[in-house]
Amino acid sequence: MAIINQATKELQVKIVYYGPAMGGKTTNLVQVHDHVQTTQGNKGKLVSLATSSDRTLFFDFLPIEAMTIKGFKTKFQLYTVPGQVIYNTTRQLVLRGVDGIVFVADSQYEKMPENVESFQNLVDNLNTLKLNLGDIPYVLQYNKRDLPNVAPVEYMDFLLNNRDVQVPAFQATAHKCEGVFESLNMITRMLLQKYVAQATPQYA
Amino acid sequence: MATLPQLIEEDMVRVDTVLREFIQQADAIAALLIDKGGFLIAQQGEPGEMDFTTIAALASGAFMANQTIAALVKEKDFNSTYQQGETFSLFVINVDHNCLLVVIFKSQSGIGVVKYFATAATAALAQQLALAAERAPGRGFDLSELNLANPQELFRKK
Repeated sequence: MAIINQATKELQVKIVYYGPAMGGKTTNLVQVHDHVQTTQGNKGKLVSLATSSDRTLFFDFLPIEAMTIKGFKTKFQLYTVPGQVIYNTTRQLVLRGVDGIVFVADSQYEKMPENVESFQNLVDNLNTLKLNLGDIPYVLQYNKRDLPNVAPVEYMDFLLNNRDVQVPAFQATAHKCEGVFESLNMITRMLLQKYVAQATPQYA
Repeated sequence: MATLPQLIEEDMVRVDTVLREFIQQADAIAALLIDKGGFLIAQQGEPGEMDFTTIAALASGAFMANQTIAALVKEKDFNSTYQQGETFSLFVINVDHNCLLVVIFKSQSGIGVVKYFATAATAALAQQLALAAERAPGRGFDLSELNLANPQELFRKK
């Protein structure tokens, strides 16, 4: 859950990139880190806890400050989770305190079972933390669209985006930075709108 | 899941005072109040070359991982971790359901004094956080000053 500090006028939110192994979660963070336009000093270091073969072991972490919010310093903390099935406990740890999720799916046909399994794993892990995916803003990113064997977007929507409320889905080629900022800006917008809505007085 | 209460000026003044007094008593380099989700809430001490934001994220992850390991070996009374270094050491102790206290201190100072004063400091921090929760348990966020006119401008590509 986001932290709001009225004294220092700071809002801190946590966005987690979730998805199957080798889907491009870390690549998203690397691209944001390499290409984000910031004023000096408001982009942190990208920290990667990875194995020698560059597979995420615990998480990747990128702290970053948004530019255009008046009044509040809005600090975003971007995390990835390890995608491999065996690291489920680690994924649960990283999900603690999550405010928004970018689900990075691999568009290759043969990866569809892994996408579906990972999405269900997300739902299960949130439930373990007594959270409900329906209450957390999330977007879908269909990554690796530059590969020849990709599934149609409609099919991926059918598999991953057929819940009661459809969420925004973006086609991406993360290693070329295509779709990366679109996904990030959308989840940020959904998050902030949720908080503003919460702040609005409710009338009976 | 329980969430951290909204913090106001009064809370932050008290938290800062507790942290400041603690680092003087324990002769620590820095003391950080962090959320278990990885957020840095308050800090006292000189960061120097240290990146407190990243330390907060990693310390919470490491603590939670250790807590999970403790649970796997049926250890129920787990509330702190101690990382001993050659020059600097790190002590992380549970404050309440949501928060941790991270202490960075010179290794030559010894862990004993840090642990001793940390007990009182965590109690004082927990008390203030409980007060904040009691004051406004279900209060929403007052983000009236947020400008959402053009959220696509939040993050721009170079």
